[in-house]
Amino acid sequence: MPDLLAVENLRQIFGGRNRTYAVDDVSFRIPAEPRIVSLVGESGSGKSTIARIILGLLRPTAGTVLYDGVDIFRPDRSWNRRFRSEVQAVFQDPYSVYNPVYKAERVLKLVIRKFGLAKTKAEARERMEAALRAVDLQPDEVLDRHPHQLSGGQRQRLMLARVYLMRPRLIVADEPVSMIDAGMRASFLNILGDFRDNHGISTLFITHDLSTAMYLGGEIIVLYQGRIMETGATHSVMSAPMHPYAQLLIDSIPTPDPRRRWEEDLSSAPLSEIGGATVASAPNRDHCLFADRCPQVMEKCWAARPVLRAPAARAADAAHRDVACYLYD
Amino acid sequence: MPALLEIRGLSAGLQGRRAITQVISQIDLDVQAGEILGVVGESGCGKSTLATAIMRLLVPPQVLQSGSIRLRLAAGETVDLLAISESELRALRWRHLSYIPQGSMNSLNPVLRVGRQMMDTLIQHGLTSGEARARAIEALELVNLERKLLDSYPHELSGGMRQRVIIAAAVSMRPALIVADELTTALDVVTQRQILQELAAIRDELGATILLITHDMGVVAQIADRVAVMYAGKIAELGSVHGIFEAPRHPYSQGLIGSIPRASGQRVEGLPGEAPSPWNYPAGCRFHPRCPKVFDLCREHAPELMRQDSGRWAACHLYDDEVAAHA
Ligand SMILES: Nc1ncnc2c1ncn2[C@@H]1O[C@H](COP(=O)(O)OP(=O)(O)OP(=O)(O)O)[C@@H](O)[C@H]1O
Ligand SMILES: Nc1ncnc2c1ncn2[C@@H]1O[C@H](COP(=O)(O)OP(=O)(O)O)[C@@H](O)[C@H]1O
Ligand code: SF4
Ligand code: SF4
Ligand SMILES: [Mg+2]
Ligand SMILES: [Mg+2]
Repeated sequence: MPDLLAVENLRQIFGGRNRTYAVDDVSFRIPAEPRIVSLVGESGSGKSTIARIILGLLRPTAGTVLYDGVDIFRPDRSWNRRFRSEVQAVFQDPYSVYNPVYKAERVLKLVIRKFGLAKTKAEARERMEAALRAVDLQPDEVLDRHPHQLSGGQRQRLMLARVYLMRPRLIVADEPVSMIDAGMRASFLNILGDFRDNHGISTLFITHDLSTAMYLGGEIIVLYQGRIMETGATHSVMSAPMHPYAQLLIDSIPTPDPRRRWEEDLSSAPLSEIGGATVASAPNRDHCLFADRCPQVMEKCWAARPVLRAPAARAADAAHRDVACYLYD
Repeated sequence: MPALLEIRGLSAGLQGRRAITQVISQIDLDVQAGEILGVVGESGCGKSTLATAIMRLLVPPQVLQSGSIRLRLAAGETVDLLAISESELRALRWRHLSYIPQGSMNSLNPVLRVGRQMMDTLIQHGLTSGEARARAIEALELVNLERKLLDSYPHELSGGMRQRVIIAAAVSMRPALIVADELTTALDVVTQRQILQELAAIRDELGATILLITHDMGVVAQIADRVAVMYAGKIAELGSVHGIFEAPRHPYSQGLIGSIPRASGQRVEGLPGEAPSPWNYPAGCRFHPRCPKVFDLCREHAPELMRQDSGRWAACHLYDDEVAAHA
């Protein structure tokens, strides 16, 4: 069976004079079996650009995206229709995608009609209620309401109910929980887990919040300035990151436990080394992009870009891991 | 030691056509000199309203309803920020207390160089141009920025650098109190960590006191000395950061801390239901519709914030000895 999604050597360069390398040779895959893959990285690292390309909203400068073995930018119309129903987007602020004059019921009915999901009114109603229940919403509490009468968390779950109706194989979710509160966040993430375990739906989950990625489990891809620095099983990467950037990133998560405070004090570390600008427009990129901030930088790090690959010394039973760093050659 | 800031009975609301809808109600809070006091709560619980009320910067439809806010200036001398005149207050801002509003890193003037913007404020406070420049450079160094940044325009800086410029401006007059609202919310974790650590260093170096307002439990756990947990416009619980995180007493604090997604990936359940907005604050204890421990009294009587042992305060009938005695 082909992979559900295979992203190969993706590259996206924006702009004329000030070229921005938003995505710089990114490859990864999501297998046919249901998975949750998190794409993490700081602001501007290229996460949303990758999402837009995968959704077919942006044609990349170079590289291919295969969905179920087919290049998403070169298929025919009937395939397109299938792709649009099987791959669904969930964005940060669901408010903006709803027509404010439509009630929740209308939002869901439109989908049912558009994709011919029910033959009778009773069947449509049944489907809607099942979808709402799948995302922990009470049908009678939300169906008769306009989007602005729902809370952020409810709107976001209504969005998931809409997605659920279509029974996609893949959800591409770009920062879906960053606007909702901690309490509500957990229940949203639990739904994605249920989708995977009970409905065979995979999710590509984009976030800058590592604790959310950790909670989701699955696999993780750590991006930095448009390149993948490290990838592997989320729990294994999170508990023992190998790439110096992944280490700094994971070490900086504000753990909600005062007994486990940050050990190293970065308050006087020079900004050119840590936390500096991440504008991905440096003209020369033929080196490790983290070299100017890396505490372990070596001469060769400036000479050529490190390849993303399995580290040389790994226990045979260790979970799969790829790292783009000369420390592991 | 008397507190640096003593907030008593502070209430503020939103002026509607017919009535005022109260947003924050009867807030009592002491901020101790030299501490970092974290104020946490879900979005909409009134954190920013509290911050702006303290700074006396509420703008219509926001209205102040009642309260006093005493700031200690020098030995023994205190002023009530809510009672003094606008010009007296202006003399205190920046020198004694400064404010970093939510989203302020996007408020820099895009057509003025960073140095100009920082110095203009200092000059308005009576410094000469030379003094202002020296102060601005000194302040930039406190947040790890080089002096050459004075000549940059805001768009040339990353979000983290712009936020640092804002912090530098806020501390340039060496105020005793800094009120910072969602200081690092828009930043990535590495930058957030470094800025918070810089803030802690500034506290040590200048002996400043910081009121850090955030919805992020991780941020307060990392950096605060004490924590005030807000719910629906009131303080639910107040105590040391260790006390609050390791043994929360108020059922809301318990739920909030229990619903944080854990690294272990262990499934947590969110708090049931959602926080009410000011237009539908419930009667009695405002948390009662979501409280797993609710009992009859909670539905009718609002619990007051009461002192527990060892510097802990909680607003919950479960911890009211008199209620317990009658039960
Ligand atoms: N249409 C565009 N034209 C020019 N530059 C763009 C465009 N879209 C994105 N970029 C640039 O590409 C880079 C990656 O942007 P992207 O939106 O993918 O980042 P992100 O990882 O999603 O960031 P965030 O966490 O802030 O959402 C950034 O430098 C951004 O400014
Ligand atoms: N100027 C305003 N106009 C209308 N509603 C407001 C205004 N300021 C605050 N509110 C409302 O008051 C409540 C508390 O807001 P806020 O203090 O900003 O909360 P927080 O900072 O905790 O997120 C929210 O319901 C908010 O929508
Ligand atoms: S390749 Fe070199 S500079 Fe880059 S992360 Fe590894 S050690 Fe650091
Ligand atoms: S007063 Fe009652 S409802 Fe409120 S938190 Fe305490 S037990 Fe729960
Ligand atoms: Mg994005
Ligand atoms: Mg706020």
